Amino acid sequence: MGSYIVRRLWQGILVVLAVTTIVFVVTRLVGNPVDIMLPLSATTEQRAAFAHQIGLDRPILEQFGTFVWDAIHLDFGDSLWQRRAAMEVVLERLPNTLLLLVSGIGTAIVLSLPLGTIAALRPGGIVDRLIVGLGLLGLSLPQFWVGLMLIITFSVVFGLLPTSGIGTPAHIILPSIAMALPSLARLSMLVRSAMLDELNKQYIQTARAKGMPLHRIVTVHGFRNILAGFLTMSGWEVIYALAGFSVVVETVFAWPGLGQTALQAIQRSDLFLLQAIVFCVAILIVLINLALDIIYKLVDPRIDLN
Amino acid sequence: MVKKYGLSAVAMAAALCLSFPGLAQDIWIGLSAEPSTLDPQARDDGSERAVSDNVYEALMARNAQGELIPGLAAAEPVQVDETTWEFKLREGISFHNGEPFNADAVVYSVNRVIAPEFNSEQLSYYASINGAEAVDEYTVRITTSGADPILPSRMYWMKMVPPAYGEDPQFAAAPVGTGPYKFSGWMRGSEIILEANADYWDGEPEIDLVHYRFIAEPGARLAGLMSGELDVITNLLPEFVDVVPNAVTVEGLETSVIVLSTENPVTGIPEVRQALNIAIDRNSLAENVFGGYAQPARGQLVNPAAFGFNEALEAYPYDPEGARALIESSGAAGQTITLLGQAGRWLKDREQLEAVAAYWQATGLNVNVEIDEWGAYLTRLFDPANRPDAVLAVNSDEVLDADRPLSWAYQMGEGASSNADAELAEWISQARMETDVETRAQLYGEITQHVYDGNYAVPLLNMQDIYGVSGRMEWQPRVDAKLIVKEMSVNE
Repeated sequence: MGSYIVRRLWQGILVVLAVTTIVFVVTRLVGNPVDIMLPLSATTEQRAAFAHQIGLDRPILEQFGTFVWDAIHLDFGDSLWQRRAAMEVVLERLPNTLLLLVSGIGTAIVLSLPLGTIAALRPGGIVDRLIVGLGLLGLSLPQFWVGLMLIITFSVVFGLLPTSGIGTPAHIILPSIAMALPSLARLSMLVRSAMLDELNKQYIQTARAKGMPLHRIVTVHGFRNILAGFLTMSGWEVIYALAGFSVVVETVFAWPGLGQTALQAIQRSDLFLLQAIVFCVAILIVLINLALDIIYKLVDPRIDLN
Repeated sequence: MVKKYGLSAVAMAAALCLSFPGLAQDIWIGLSAEPSTLDPQARDDGSERAVSDNVYEALMARNAQGELIPGLAAAEPVQVDETTWEFKLREGISFHNGEPFNADAVVYSVNRVIAPEFNSEQLSYYASINGAEAVDEYTVRITTSGADPILPSRMYWMKMVPPAYGEDPQFAAAPVGTGPYKFSGWMRGSEIILEANADYWDGEPEIDLVHYRFIAEPGARLAGLMSGELDVITNLLPEFVDVVPNAVTVEGLETSVIVLSTENPVTGIPEVRQALNIAIDRNSLAENVFGGYAQPARGQLVNPAAFGFNEALEAYPYDPEGARALIESSGAAGQTITLLGQAGRWLKDREQLEAVAAYWQATGLNVNVEIDEWGAYLTRLFDPANRPDAVLAVNSDEVLDADRPLSWAYQMGEGASSNADAELAEWISQARMETDVETRAQLYGEITQHVYDGNYAVPLLNMQDIYGVSGRMEWQPRVDAKLIVKEMSVNE
């Protein structure tokens, strides 16, 4: 397993390098960053001076060389927009996004197991239909709209929770719900169908026939066997959210996370900040994937990682 | 104000009330973006200004009507010779950290912002300034490279910073100025807090603490106001005006304009450009797209409150039959023109674009509307060789002077200009250097008339700024769109 981890880490480094290179190229292909950074009415002379200042007038290969050299030293330059180290901005916003991920996607992961299982126990029953119906709703309502509806209901009409921002535990409740809903829907549907399959297998029938109580069948046999697939999907939910799906929730609730910052960096053509964000997110995703692989092995020793 | 959520917040508020004899007066302001920095000289950033305008001051100020008045200067500056202006300073003022405000501070502030290595985004406002020198402790001379009649207006934009602390690496994160409010804290991503400066030279302000919050989503900003969390929100959408407790509007600084390319085949025909101008019902645009919170531009890009505004011009008339006849007689009927714009960058940009396209289509032209990503849009806007026939942009005239909008939109080789009128370019440069106020105003009168007659652009609307305000606030916004907290009060 040790050699496996080393190999995966090595691949991970290649992935991170490839992703940051792509971002480097793309940000310089779409439009001229200088035009975007300066006020609309800046003079031609000022544009040239600014391009020189941030090094954009140099040959692209030279720029790339500098970028790679600095990146190796974990120096991503200063954010053009905030005029301080890009990495500093990223490290400041990352914990907020992680907090939202843990409370939002975490809630979805924790709740989806019982919900999906309850639905699977009596397929076609009232509870099953209710859960499936709500699941479909959660999948089809746009997060943006759900967020605004939550704000209007719980903050504006009832005045129970703050509308947006960060600071107290009360601030995280609504964004977490908005964040959790689609994931909760996807994961419970997955648990439901996997559990249905499992419960119809012959060994379960045998276990039932010999009088094993239902809760033991479900927890000992059912959960164990659907766990690998469930973990894969949960990992994907986290990765989706990290890789940009949190933008919507963060924007609606003015949650100062990495997603919102990435969006603002794109709007302001802040190349250096964008590169730092992509670098960090790529590393996180590689690590999450690696962690998932290791957990597989622990959950199901039959899996051969090599 | 008691926030409506959380018992602990209520309990804390109660505890605060008990421990202080008088109730501290707090207000919450919702901005649409977080300031990029609190260095008041580095960036051209409206959110940064919203905060800095209360912490810092400039030599010149404007009253609520937009007239230029002395700020940190004791009186109007005196022009010593063509390129030198002398400012007498108010005495006895100090920065929040105790540094004295004097000639050295002014010299430092001027030289700091114009230094090439400082790379200020505000440089375009100060391009003419060469430097500053102290005459005595409270007298400063500022020199310009050529004659610069609007130097006093420029000094209204330049915030005065403390020479010693200005060099501190913390300066951009924890600012120190001379203004009515002192910096108190910045929780990155969520809040900036200012507190009243009890020693302010022009009297202690009424509101004790100002909390700025950053909410990009207009709906979320509105919800914050409706739930009582916020007292003032900026950039309220016109459709929400009837919903909020109180909406206040002020003539804004932004003017939407379509720059026409006089060098392209179809828009090169003067009659076609005239037709494009008179084909648009600007009153209907203002009424239907902006809910009445905009006025038809008076035939020019210059802001009505700005120096150089031509009072003699009126909005282009709405004459759809005339436009059709012009297109017919010029032989352009059935030809295609490209109209480039943005969606979501400026207030109602897409709606304006689509409405204009429909008006133009009705003249017999084919209108090809294109909406590009911002970077791609700018590349095309600034490329004289491959300019689209028509580009919609929104110009913001912060300095309230005709020079920038005119040179940006009309001076050959600059920014968005799209004509080959060398004589006009010469005129614009001449007006920039003209020191005699009367002559300068007259030059702008001629320039605006010239571009009006030549239909080099299609000025659309002067937009109003709309603020949502809570029921307990008393505040009248200013012509220069500054959020001056000292001018606000709370009645409870």
